[in-house]
Order: sequence, then structure tokens, then C-alpha cells
Amino acid sequence: MKSQKIRAEALLEKLAKQTDGAEIYELRTVELPVRFRAGALESVKAVETAGRALRLIKDGRLGFSTTTDLGDDTYLVQNALESAHYGDPAPFRFPAQQPAPSVQCFDPQVEQMDEQSFIALGEQIVEKIKAYDATLQINVGLSKELEEVSLYNTSGLALTSRRTLLSVSVSATRAREGDIFTIFEATSWRQAKEIDGLALAERLIERLRLAERIVPIQTKAMPVIFRGPGVLALLIPFMVGLDGRNVFLGVSPLRGKLDQKICDERFSLIDDGTLDFAPRSAPYDDEGMPTQRKFLIERGVAKQFLYDLKTAALARAQPTGNGFKAGFMGGGFRYPPRISSTSAIIPPGDRTFTQILKDLDEALIVENVMGLGGGNPLTGEFSNTVSVGFLARKGEIVGRVKNTMIAGNVYDLLRERLIALSDRPEWIFGFAHAPAIALDGVSVASK
Amino acid sequence: MREAILRALERSRADYTEIRVEREWRTEVAYRKENLENLEASSELGGIVRCLVGGGWGIAVFNSLENLERRVEDAFRIAKAVSAKAPERAALAPTRPVQDEVRVTLKKDPRSIPLKQKQELLRRYNELMLKHSGKIVSTTARYTDSFKEVTYANSEGTFIVDERPDVTLLLSATAREDEKNIQTGSESLGWFAGFEAAENQEEHALKAAQRAIELLGAKPVTAGVYTVILDQDLAGVFIHEAFGHLCEADFLFKNPRLQEILKIGRPFGIPELNVVDDGYLEGLRGNSKYDDEGTPRQKVYLIKNGVLNSFLHSRQTAAKMGTQPTGNARAVNYQFEPIVRMRNTYIEPGSATFEQMLKDIDYGIYACGSFGGQTMLEQFTFEAKYAYEIVRGQLGELLRDVVLTGNVFETLKNIEMIGNDLVIKGTSGGCGKDGQFPLPVTTGGPHIRVRHVTIGGKAS
Repeated sequence: MKSQKIRAEALLEKLAKQTDGAEIYELRTVELPVRFRAGALESVKAVETAGRALRLIKDGRLGFSTTTDLGDDTYLVQNALESAHYGDPAPFRFPAQQPAPSVQCFDPQVEQMDEQSFIALGEQIVEKIKAYDATLQINVGLSKELEEVSLYNTSGLALTSRRTLLSVSVSATRAREGDIFTIFEATSWRQAKEIDGLALAERLIERLRLAERIVPIQTKAMPVIFRGPGVLALLIPFMVGLDGRNVFLGVSPLRGKLDQKICDERFSLIDDGTLDFAPRSAPYDDEGMPTQRKFLIERGVAKQFLYDLKTAALARAQPTGNGFKAGFMGGGFRYPPRISSTSAIIPPGDRTFTQILKDLDEALIVENVMGLGGGNPLTGEFSNTVSVGFLARKGEIVGRVKNTMIAGNVYDLLRERLIALSDRPEWIFGFAHAPAIALDGVSVASK
Repeated sequence: MREAILRALERSRADYTEIRVEREWRTEVAYRKENLENLEASSELGGIVRCLVGGGWGIAVFNSLENLERRVEDAFRIAKAVSAKAPERAALAPTRPVQDEVRVTLKKDPRSIPLKQKQELLRRYNELMLKHSGKIVSTTARYTDSFKEVTYANSEGTFIVDERPDVTLLLSATAREDEKNIQTGSESLGWFAGFEAAENQEEHALKAAQRAIELLGAKPVTAGVYTVILDQDLAGVFIHEAFGHLCEADFLFKNPRLQEILKIGRPFGIPELNVVDDGYLEGLRGNSKYDDEGTPRQKVYLIKNGVLNSFLHSRQTAAKMGTQPTGNARAVNYQFEPIVRMRNTYIEPGSATFEQMLKDIDYGIYACGSFGGQTMLEQFTFEAKYAYEIVRGQLGELLRDVVLTGNVFETLKNIEMIGNDLVIKGTSGGCGKDGQFPLPVTTGGPHIRVRHVTIGGKAS
């Protein structure tokens, strides 16, 4: 690691002479994915990868290149310089090091986990689900990830951090003539003690049980309760609207709406990069800006958009520590930084899920959807196929719906039609924390 | 490198060992509105070793090629640990060892085209969209090229060097009337070719911008169940999402229940329905002469004369199901082991003309262009870029926000007419499965007419 730093500093020193500024980002990753298929252990994979990205500003223009050849920077520098030669004017400078929040990202227990511990946990998960129904096809994936991230720039910034991540995913398929049903649960966290694989299995079994009976549903506008991963159908249009780049480009409906009421006052949304051990947490973003915890929507009022360095400079806004070399589904050193949310937190309401359900004559509970981003997120419209959904009548779940779609506008629905938020938020795949959200007047279409 | 690979294979103690090393050169030019968002030339080198011991796979992924023998030893050690827990020995269907060097000849090798030329091309496309109308508020113009040299060798004597070029172009324009009405038109293209493929695509830039403007005046679709005509793009995405994925044998080779449901010979549609997955069609993105297990490409009929005819296989799924591998074991890059994937997947043309399809529809929807789709075995969903009403056999008003869903078994049976106008094309995206994304594939078909299709949207 020491030699790495010396290497980076030597390269930066060289680049400082021929450029207006430069930034080196290095990522070394060790992963250990273990995979069970059809209830049996199938493979273990040991991943050991490393890459380097170089951004530089030359004659005021921005260049970018990446490589996996850590021993020779000749082509990396040559490529980045060529890119800068034709690149756009860089509206920003690489930042000096600033104080950052203390954020825990490393758990030695995760580091120590080996394939034997994953195999044992995988077997327990499989056994538990098999005990419920031995005919299910059960796939399990378990993995740890160790990352060593280094960021250096010619403004004197030098950051190195080690991060861990533990992930577990489980899927079960029930195949019957006329009904093939797949259900999926996943979680990830930087700390081992927060990951409970058996609880994940229990959750899955509970839903399989509820899914036994298939019930018809009518095409009409009706109350829909979004819960767990189902909440993402609502969250994605919001994140598109709150992305500072979309605001700057004029394709966000929230442009010009800061400090205006855009939702019901019971609804708030926080972007938090500082939560200890959350998968999307870190003291600094991938451009060296401190991460923050901030209200994007506070009691229904739009408060803040998300920015990286470049977009903030273009939009004459302050960077918010949201410049990451990763998209919604991960990324790595290969990508230039761009705007990305950290943990999305929706504060809970005060009614239990059971109470909310009881007060509704009829409601569709949407636990997961297919085709996320479907509809027109730029205007807040969503249109998704329900992959896991249950129909409830007077507080009782009567069965699973099939071949059903939901559609609506998140801004209209959360402004005018919010019934309630439940009191118990839950983590969704480790990157969003949200209660169940009940909305009236959601369009439901079915055969 | 050849010697290092052969030596490492020779010393392996596993039942079966393979090594794949990929060297990639790639560039990207991306405009967002008038800003050049990324201009990049990069390179990458990495490898993967896969060892089979008994019933267990051990895999090692790495960037440093310095000590291949140690990587093989790592993969072997892991495979041994897995095999101790894997109840069933895994067999691989036999294939003939291959020694081959596949070199491509490109009109304009992207590696020798200066970055400036690529940037200028994209700036031109971007300006065409931006200047098309005052209502265009944003654009995306993105070009990528990648040239991969894949070296694959296994312990059965196969040694292949395979060159895989890939070029994509995404041209997308967003028009705004007001905050409630922001619409996007986009053209997404991809080729197994050189830089020349991305040239002279001005018409696509104009088409994207024009579509965005037109969609400002479109009406949102009303939720319901309709008779739908899918254009060639959507027919292709439909057959890929809804049916192609279901034919990937890794879903079912260890699932006897699913195999009972999906029996070869089961009727799936009208006799005119033929569905193909083909490993080579000139210039198409799904091409490669060998898959990532060294199995030669072939043309596979998934549905022949309306009846389920074959699955797509790797060597392992083929052995388990007692059949031949089909050349469909593909990996998106060196960080992944090959899994069963599609290549160029399409519905063969039938005999109907577009006019014949329209003729007796009283009220229906003509859905065009694809924003992509998703599947969970029987249930699928996909989104049209735009659509038209069909009223008493005539095309009517432009519609937007058309998202379709269905159950593959019902929907294939509900295909009632198959057009005579096959088109197969690649996009700038790709196929995703098990975390491997975006794999270059193409999809296609003629116009098809399907009854009883559920479309989401505002409930009337």
C-alpha cells in the first residue's frame, strides 16, 4: 500500500508539471462469491482485481482514461492526455482535502469469513426453505467483498480506505402447470452481525405461503400499498427528478421547485452517505468530497438536489458529496464519477401495517415489480408489472395476483393521495430504508 | 502467453480446467446536451480460470497474469472444497477439441481511428438533435467501441484466439412542453463491426428528435386488454424476454418439475411459429464463432412449426439433459464464468402483410420500438417507445407510455398472425442475467399480431 502511494505521488508530480490538475483513483477488490443452485452447492469463485482511473485537466479541458495495468502508466497517461486534448472545458478544479464525517465501512469479521462459513450459511438457508417445501428450486448466493479505495489529486488530497461488504441473496421457484412463480430476497451490509440469512429465508417462506392462492383483480383505480422492494417503483422517479444533472438539463419536473411543497407533509426523503456500515456509505465520495446526510424532501417540501463536482459547477450549485464511480447497480474504477444517491431514507409514519390494511376495504400490496423505470420517470410516471403482489380485503390477505400492472404519477399520488406510511421501515437491498407506503387512486390493470 | 497458458493447464490437477484471457481496447464518446460528458480511451486485461473437480466448480478471476499456475492452483483448491459438498458429479458433454485463430477484418478498425474523429461524428449527431426544434431540451449522444481479443484454452486440447469487435450508438432526444409533459425519443443501435457502422447515421438522430416532438402531442394509453400488433423491434424483444430466457437450460437442468412443464414437443403456438437462436448472422452483435467453452456456433430452432424443439445449452446442461451443447455458454467478460445465454434470437417470417394484420381489428394497438424488457420465467414485461391506436382497421392517434405484460404460455398461443417482414437488429444496450450485463445480443422478428395483451396505464 505504501509503495502504491509513492507510485501515485510520483505520477501526480509528473502530471502536475504538464497539466492544470490530475486525479488518480485506484480500486483493489477481493471477492468470494459462493453459489448454490437447485439447493446444492455449485461453485465458489475467488476474485482479485485491480484498476486505476486517471482524470486530468489540461489547457482547461477534461480527460479520462482507465487501465488494469498497474505496472505501466504510459498508455493511461497518453490516453487521458489525448482525451483532454479534444475534451470539454472542465468547469471545476480537483478539491483539496476537507474534513469529513466519521463513517464506519470496515468490519474485520467480514474480512475473515471464508468459503466454509459461506457454505455453512448457504446450507442452513437451503435446509430451512426445503423444510417448508422440498419441491422448490432454491438458489442462494453469498459473497464478501473487500475493497481498497485510494484517491489522490494534485490539490494535495490523499485518501485511502478499506471497505467490506457482505451480501446474501435467495430465490425460490415453484413450478406447477399453469403457474411458475419465482420469489427473490436479497440483502447486503458492510457489517457481518447485521446480516441474518435465516431471517431472509423466513421472509421468503412467509411470502410463498401467502402466494399459494391466486386471486383475480379488476382493472380500476384503487388503494395500493408499496412495501419492501415494491417501494422502488415510487423511489426511482423521485431519484430521477432529484438528480442535479436532470435539473440542470431542464428535464426534471422539480426544476425551480426548491422550497416549494411537492408532496404531502407526512412524506420526507433523506439521502444519507454517513450511516455506519451501510453499503453506499463512505466518509468521502469518489471525487474526494465529504458525504452528507441531507433532506431532499422535508415534510413535503423540496429541499436539495444531488450534485457531483462537474454538475455543481455547471449549475452554479454546491457539490453534495454524491459523485460516485457507480450507478444504481454498482460500478467501479472504469467509470467517470457521476451523480449517484447514497442511502435513500424515507422516515416512517405512525400506523402499523395491520392498521393501515384494516382500514381499507380492498387494497393491492405490491412487494416487488418488474420493469423498474418503466413509464416516464422524467415526469414522475411509473408503469410496472407486479411480480409479487397480494390482494387484501378488510385487513386480510386473500391471495396473490398475477398478470397485473400498476401505473400512476408519483408526484400527484404523494401530494394528493397518500393514505399512510407504516411505522416500521425496512431495508431494501441495503440501499433504501423505507416504510410501507399506502396510496389511493393507483391505476391497476389486469386480465 | 500461449506457453504460459499451456503450462498452467498441463500442471492442473482438476478433472477439467479452462483458462480465458481477455484483452480489450475501448473508447467512449458521450454528449449530454451541449456538454461532452465523457471522452475516453481505455484498455483492460484480465483472466479467469475455471476448474471442475467432481461436482464442484472452482473459479479464479484476476488482472495480473504473472502467475497463472498459482491461479489454477487456487481454482483447483476451491473446486475440491466445493466437490466435497456437491452431491452429484458434474459431467460435460463431449466436444471436439478445436485449434483456431479467428481474426476479423474491419473496414475501419476503431483502434486506429483517432478519438477526435469519433468525437466529431458524435458532436454532429448531437447537434442535429439539439437544433431540430426549440422544444428539444436535452439530448444524449453516446458512442462506444470495444475490440476484444479473447484467448480460450482448456485441458482437453482446445486453444482458440477469437477477436470480437463491438460498436454501439445511442441517440436520444428529450422534448419538453411543460413539467407534466416531457417526452423522449431514442434510437439505439449496435453492431459486430468497426467504426464505419456508426457513420452515416444522421437519419437516426433526426428520427429520435422528431419522435420526441411527436410524443409531446401523443395521448397516454388507457389500461386494458387489447389486440396488439408488435413491430419488428418489439416482436424481437418479446421473443427474447418472454420465450428465449425460458429456453436457457441452466434454469431447468436441475429442476425436474420445470422440465415436465417444458417438454420438448409441447405445442407453443400456431404451426407458422418458428423461433431461432443463431450463433452467426453477418454483422450482428450476438456473433461469435465459438462460445466461451470453445463450442462452435450453430443455428438452433427453439420452436419449430409451433412446437418446442430445443433448449439452449452449455456443456454441463447438455450432459445433464442428455443432448448436445449448442454454443450458448457465454460470459460478458473475464470477470465471469460462462452461463447459458442467447445470441441472435428471432421469429422467422410468416406470410401476413401489415395490411392484412390491420384489416379486421376493430380497436387495438400498434406498439413500436423497444425501451427494453424483463422476465421472470413465465411472466414478462416490456415497454414500447411509442404506439398508435388501431381503429376499425386503420392506424389512428399516436399513443405514449405503453408497457405490456403477459404470461409466456398464453401469449405465444395468442399470436394469431405472423408477418412477412423480418428485421433483426442490435441495440446499444445488451442482455442481463445473473449480474452479467450488458452481453451483446440481437433480437428480431417480423410484425406479429397477438390477442388479449395486457397493457398498463391509467385505468379508464
